[in-house]
Amino acid sequence: MIADNEGRRRIIYCVGEERSLREVLSEAEVAPLLSAAAKAGLPGVHVADGEGNVLWGAAGNAAAGKRTAARTVRLEGEPAGKVILRTGTPPGGTEDALLSLIADALATMAHNNLKRMLTTEMHTEVVNRSYEELLETNRKLSASEQRYRELAESLEIKVRERTQELARAMTRLVQQEKMASVGQLAAGVAHEINNPLAFVTSNIHTLKKYTSRFLDMLGRYERVCEQGGVAQQDRDGLRKHREALRIDAIAPDAGDLIRQTLEGTERVRKIVADLKGFSHIDEEGEGPADLNREIERTLSVMTQEIPPGARIVREFSPVPVITCRPGLFCQMFLNLLRNAFQARREGLCVAIRTGVSEDRIRLSFADNGPGIPPDRRARIFEPFYTTREVGKGKGMGLTVAYDIVTSHGGTIDVEDTPGGGATFVVKLPIQRGCHDQVR
Amino acid sequence: MIEYDDAEKRMVLKLVYYGPALSGKTTNLLRLHDLLVKEGRGDLMVLDTQDDRTIFFDLLPFFLVAPSGLKIKVKVYTVPGQVQHDATRKAVLQRADGVAFIADSRRTEAKNNAESFGNLERNLAIVGIDIDRLPLVIQYNKRDLNDITAEEEIRKVWGPTGIPMVPASALQGWGVVETFRTLVSRAYDNLDRKHAFRDTHGLTRESFVDRLASRAG
Repeated sequence: MIADNEGRRRIIYCVGEERSLREVLSEAEVAPLLSAAAKAGLPGVHVADGEGNVLWGAAGNAAAGKRTAARTVRLEGEPAGKVILRTGTPPGGTEDALLSLIADALATMAHNNLKRMLTTEMHTEVVNRSYEELLETNRKLSASEQRYRELAESLEIKVRERTQELARAMTRLVQQEKMASVGQLAAGVAHEINNPLAFVTSNIHTLKKYTSRFLDMLGRYERVCEQGGVAQQDRDGLRKHREALRIDAIAPDAGDLIRQTLEGTERVRKIVADLKGFSHIDEEGEGPADLNREIERTLSVMTQEIPPGARIVREFSPVPVITCRPGLFCQMFLNLLRNAFQARREGLCVAIRTGVSEDRIRLSFADNGPGIPPDRRARIFEPFYTTREVGKGKGMGLTVAYDIVTSHGGTIDVEDTPGGGATFVVKLPIQRGCHDQVR
Repeated sequence: MIEYDDAEKRMVLKLVYYGPALSGKTTNLLRLHDLLVKEGRGDLMVLDTQDDRTIFFDLLPFFLVAPSGLKIKVKVYTVPGQVQHDATRKAVLQRADGVAFIADSRRTEAKNNAESFGNLERNLAIVGIDIDRLPLVIQYNKRDLNDITAEEEIRKVWGPTGIPMVPASALQGWGVVETFRTLVSRAYDNLDRKHAFRDTHGLTRESFVDRLASRAG
C-alpha cells in the first residue's frame, strides 16, 4: 500500500503478476495424483519447475538402462515445469500415456487454480478498494458534519448575540418612544398650565394691588370712624361687624397670602420650565449641551424621588460643551441617579462629580449603598436584568444608559465607592470620531 | 510494464483493451487468438462471464525472444466495460504499456463511447499513467452494422488528437489484427526508448510486430 498525494492510503493491485507452478499448485493437490500414478505403475514420477528443481515427488536415482520421459506443464501458455519419469520401458507405451495424462491433469488444475486466484484476488481487491473508498467517504462526511456542527454552534452564538442586540435596540426604542410621549405630554401639560398660570399670576398681582387699595380705603374709613365722623350707634354696629369678620386678623394676612400664592405660581412656572427643559421636547436632534447644567436640570425634576434626609454632593468642575442629544443624556442621568437614590433608605449620600480626564469628560455618580458584587457587574447592563423584586424594576435603566453612552462613543463602568457602595463612571469623548458622527 | 528482470533477461508487458460495455473487446481477443499464428502465443483465458459479459477480464498471452536472449511476454487483457466494474478496470489498467480503445460504431453508442473514454482518462490519471505518453489506438468496431457513424466524421473527431484510428468488424474478423499491430508498433517506440530494444537487444520494430502478430496460414 502506498499513499497518494492526498495522503490517502491506496491499495495498489496490478493484474498480471507472474506466477510460478509452486504458487498455483499445492502439495495437497499434487500428492494424491502422484501416489495414484505410483499405484498405477509409475514409481518415481515427479514434478520439477522450469529450472529443473524438484517440486513434488521423488526424483529417484538415474539407474542404468533407464531413460527419462518428461512432459511440459504450461501456465498461461508458457512452459512452467515438467512431469518427469525415469523408466526402463521403451517410449510410446502405457507409461508415456499415463505421464501425458498426469501432465494434462496438472496443467488443467494449475489453469483452473490460476483463474480462481485471479478472480478471488480481483474480488478481494474490489472489496478492499470499495472499503477504502467507503472509509474515505466516511472521513469526508465526518469532516463535513464537524464543519456543519461548528457552523451550527457559531450560528447559535451569533443568534444569541443578535437577539441581545435586538432586545437592546427594542428596549432603547421603547424607552425613546416613552421619553418622546412623556416629553410630549409634559410639553402639552406645560403649555396648558402656562396659559392659566400666566393670567392667574397676572390677576394675583393685580389683586395684590387692589387689596392694598382696599386695605388703604378700609384704614381711612376706620380713622374717620374713630375720629367721631359717624354716629355712636353706627360706630358700634360697624365695630361688631368688623370683629365678626375678623378684619384685624385678615388684613395683615392678606398680603402674606398673596405673596405666598405668587411664590407658589413662581414655583409652578419653574417646574413647568424644568419639565420642558428636561424633556428637550422643543429641541430637534443634536445640539450643544453643558452636561453640568443637564445634570442640575435632571436633579430638579427628581426632587420627589430623593429620599428624605439624603445628602446630594455636587462636585462640579467646568466641562466643555459637547454636541449631543441633551434629552437622551438627561434620560441617562435620570436612570443613574434613580439607581443611586434607591441604593438605601436612610443616610443616603450621592456624590456627583464632573470633570475632564485624559481628553475625556468624566462623570461619576457614587452612592453609599450595598454596592454591586463583582460577579454581577458583567450582567447589569444586559436588558431586563434586575435584582429588584418582580414588578419594582424593569431591568432597563442601565441598559438604556449603556446604549446612550456607547452610541455617543463613550464608556460606562461600575466601580466600588471607597467605603462601600457603587460608583458609575461615564467617560465621553469631547470630540467624537468619524464613526460616531456617521451614526 | 509488469516485470523486468535484467538478471533473468525477462520482461513482462501489458496491453489493455478498453472501451464501453458490449463494444467487442473480448471478440477482438477471440479473433486475435484465431487469426494469429499459434507459435508464440498462449491460450485465451476467459475468466468468469455473466450472460456473455465480462465481469473480470480476459487474457491472451504472447511470447517472443529477442536476439539478445531477452524473453518478452506480452499479456493482452480486456477490461469489463460495464460501469459498475470500475475497480476492476483500474486494477487491469495498472502499469499498462498500451491501450486499445474499442469503440462501438453505432450512432446510438456515441455517448457511451465518450463516457468510457472519459473513464479511461480518469483511471489513467488515478493509476499514474500519462495519457499523452501512453501508446493508444482507437478501434471503431462493428463497421458491418447499419446506422453507424461515418468514417469521415470519426476521423474529423480523432484526427486532431494524433491517436490512430482503425475501423474494424471483430465479428467478421477484419481490422482486428491491424488494431493489434498498430498498438504493438506504438508500444515498441516507448520500449525502445527505455530499454534500447534495437541497440541492446537487436529487436527492430518490424520483427517485434511480426513476431507478435503474424497471421496464421
